[in-house]
Formats: sequence, C-alpha cells, structure tokens
Amino acid sequence: MGMELGMTELPLALFSTLVPMGAGAFLMLAAAFFVKRFDAEALKKVDRMTVIPIVFVVVGFICAFFHLANPMNAFNVFANVGSSPMSNEIVMGLVFCVVAIVYWIVALAGKLASEGARKGFSAVVAVVGLLFCVFVGLAYGMDTIPSWNNAMVPLSTLFFGVLGGSAVGMAVFYQAGVYDAADKQLAKVALVVSWVGVIGSVAFFALNMGTASGLANNMMYGSDVVSAMMPWIVTAVIVMVLAGVALMFEIQKKRATFYTWIVVVVTFVGILLARLSFYGVEFSAGLGI
Amino acid sequence: MTQKGFYFDSTRCMGCRTCETACKDYYDTEVDTNYRKVYDCEGGSCDVNEDDTVENLAYCYHMSLGCNHCEDPACTKACPTGAIHRDEEAGLVLIDDGKCIGCGYCEMACPYNAPKVDKEKGHSVKCSGCYERLQEGKEPICVSACPLRALQFGDIDELEREYSDSEVGNIAPLPDKDLTHPSLLVKVCPDAKPAGDMSVRVSNPLEVI
Repeated sequence: MGMELGMTELPLALFSTLVPMGAGAFLMLAAAFFVKRFDAEALKKVDRMTVIPIVFVVVGFICAFFHLANPMNAFNVFANVGSSPMSNEIVMGLVFCVVAIVYWIVALAGKLASEGARKGFSAVVAVVGLLFCVFVGLAYGMDTIPSWNNAMVPLSTLFFGVLGGSAVGMAVFYQAGVYDAADKQLAKVALVVSWVGVIGSVAFFALNMGTASGLANNMMYGSDVVSAMMPWIVTAVIVMVLAGVALMFEIQKKRATFYTWIVVVVTFVGILLARLSFYGVEFSAGLGI
Repeated sequence: MTQKGFYFDSTRCMGCRTCETACKDYYDTEVDTNYRKVYDCEGGSCDVNEDDTVENLAYCYHMSLGCNHCEDPACTKACPTGAIHRDEEAGLVLIDDGKCIGCGYCEMACPYNAPKVDKEKGHSVKCSGCYERLQEGKEPICVSACPLRALQFGDIDELEREYSDSEVGNIAPLPDKDLTHPSLLVKVCPDAKPAGDMSVRVSNPLEVI
C-alpha cells in the first residue's frame, strides 16, 4: 500500500507524465501562432525546436516498454482495439505521433509559410494531442477498479497535458530564442493556458483522490489507502501550483533559458508525483487493493 | 463444449490450504505466486453483557478461490493483445503465452485477484482449471487434493443441477457477481455474509495479495 504500490508502476507513471507534457505542448504552440505573427526566421527556429515535445513523447513511449514483461510481443497490442482501453490508448498515441511528425516535417520543409496553413495544421496537432492526453486517462477505465473508472481520470490527464505542455511549449520558444515578454497578447494567452492547466490538474487530481477515499472492499478501505498516499498527494499539489507560479514569472518577464528548463523539471516532478499517487490508489471492486 | 466452473462448499472448508499447496506444488510456482488462494473471512464481535455473560457473535469462514473462468471476464476485456481469452471449446479462460506482453492489465482488472504477471516467464499466469489434466480425463489438482471434498469442478450447468443449494458467487468477500458473471457456485455456510457486505474483513491480506 502507499507509495510502494505507486513505485511499482514507475515506468507507466513516467509514460503518463512525459507523453501529456509533449503532446500538450502543441496547444501552447498553436495558441501562440493564433495570437502572434512570427517572422519567417523566428518560425524556422521554432520549428527546429519543435523536436523538444516530440522527444518527450518518444521518451515516454520508451519508458512504457520497461513496464512490459515481454516487450517482444508489443505489436500484439492492436489486437483488442475497441475493447481494451490500453489498445485504444496506443492507437490514439500512434495517430498523434503520425500527425505531429508530419506537421514537424512539413514545417521544417518550409511548407507552412502561409498563416492559414500554419494555424490550421498546428490547431489539428493540438487537438489530436489533447485527445491523446484524454486517452492516456481513459486507459484506466475498467469497471472493476472504481478508483480509476471515473471522469476525473481522463480529465486530470487532459489538464496535465495543458500544464505540462505549457512548460514544454515555453521551453520551445525560449530555446528558439523567440519569446518576447513585451508581446502582451502572447503573454496573456500563455498565462491563461498555463493556469487553466494548473487549476484543472489540481482540481481533477484532488477530486479523483477524494473519490478513492470513499471506496471500500472487504480487504481495504479507500480512506486508508489515500491516507497512506497523503504526503505525496499534498506534495504533488504544492509542486504543480509552484510550477504554475514559476511559469507565470517566465511568461511575464524574459528570463535566462536555463530558467525555463528548471520550470520544465518542476512541472515534471509535480505531474509525476500526481501520477504515482494515482497508481498508489488502485482500488479493486473485489479482492485486491 | 459447455462452460466449465468450480463449486465450493463453504460449509465444509476448514481453511487448511491443501488446495492452494497442491496447486503450488503441481505447477511449481514462485514463492509469491499462487493460482489458488484461501481467503480467511472474519467479522462479528465478542461482548460482555450486563449480567457478565459473554455473547460471542464472532465468526470466521474461508473462501478458496482460483480463476472463476467468468462468462464476461474483466481480464479479457482489458487485455490489449487478446492473449487472455475465453476458449469457447474448453469452456475456460486461458492465456496464450505467445501473445502476452505482460502489461498487467488482466491483473489490475480481475476483481478475483486471479491473474498475475510473472516477470521471469514474461507473461501473465493464472489458474487454467488444470486444462492439461482435463484433457487427460483428470480433475483439477485442487479438487483432487481437498481432504474435505469442498471443491468440485465440471460443466457449470451440471454442477448447478447437482448442487441446487448453491448460489453463483454470492458470498463476501467476492464482488457483485454481475461485474463478470463468474462460473463459481458456492454453498454458503450459515455464518457467511452475502457479497457486498463490508462488515466481513479478509484477515490475511498479506498472504493473498
């Protein structure tokens, strides 16, 4: 019970932290393209640095492989699409990867010079990315695990994507050297996106933990399980709020590039703690905890 | 082939673990892997009345459980590869080792705590209803080993006819039978509580998890 249980799922926790951070970053990119006209040189730099969120997603998938007892059979995961929530998640992940990589290649090739094409394609990637974040949460929708089988789970992974994606998206702009805090329109949008992420993440994560504490089976009480996780749950909430504050500083005033990476690390730690807490409150409707 | 299942007589079971041990020995499983587990279920109270008499309402009964080869299994629905599947011909829920990726979704989803990922073997493992022994015309090893004849195995329809005083999986600590429709008939002992009664506590969680 407690964090010991959460740590047994560390590869999955890393997957479900890194993937939303990477996929969610495309929301920040699309939002920026909608409110700011970057010149061609700036766009080229941003497109080069778009490799950052893609690396997050790829590393996330690699982490997931460490969760498998037999990765050699991994291609079989498509056999149960429709029935298995995990199959659905992986298919959605692949759709996202294809869309994001095609976008990246087309952008790098300079084929998104027109503003309309840039806005349209980046919006599609952002929407598919957020859908993927939802599917990461839906992967735990099993009616025999009531602590996971509720709307708070996909909503929390969606907002982890918005929060984590804000940190990674800002890292793209900083690393590309194109972020201008004086551009009030961009700063305002970035602030709104990141704080929607913070509030949604904290709210749905806390609601999920609250739901779990009200459960019971003949082996365990949910309140005992959640109590055992409480220090980690509280720390996760505090770190996610701190990430939001750090993001605010980064958005309102231009900082050194290394600062943006510190924000990424803080955000990563906050979401990772929340995900480990989530695995720690796996609670069966029958025999199990 | 018709659906296979177990019959468990909780009025007979004394919690000796012979079923569990025979299975473990037969399949030579690791220390922390049991295909059959015995759950000790306890509840009630022991109170001293005003007239100093002692009223003992404490109870204990046992529940021997392997895989229930459910008609609507949670494990097969969760499995991404189809490795864990209902074999209609055998009337059992079986695992195709060659397809399994060992993701643990069956283990998470099963409300009967039956499948488990064996990291060494690289796939999930669980009670197969002694599929190979059945092919040889034998009964599952747990059924053969039970000294009190508390376990039976066979076509679930036949078992239902033979043991008309049994119910489908309606005994605590089992979950609501409608979750997966287990192929498990239980003759309920007088002290036992129905499924969903949370006053019954499993007193050996470290042994069975």
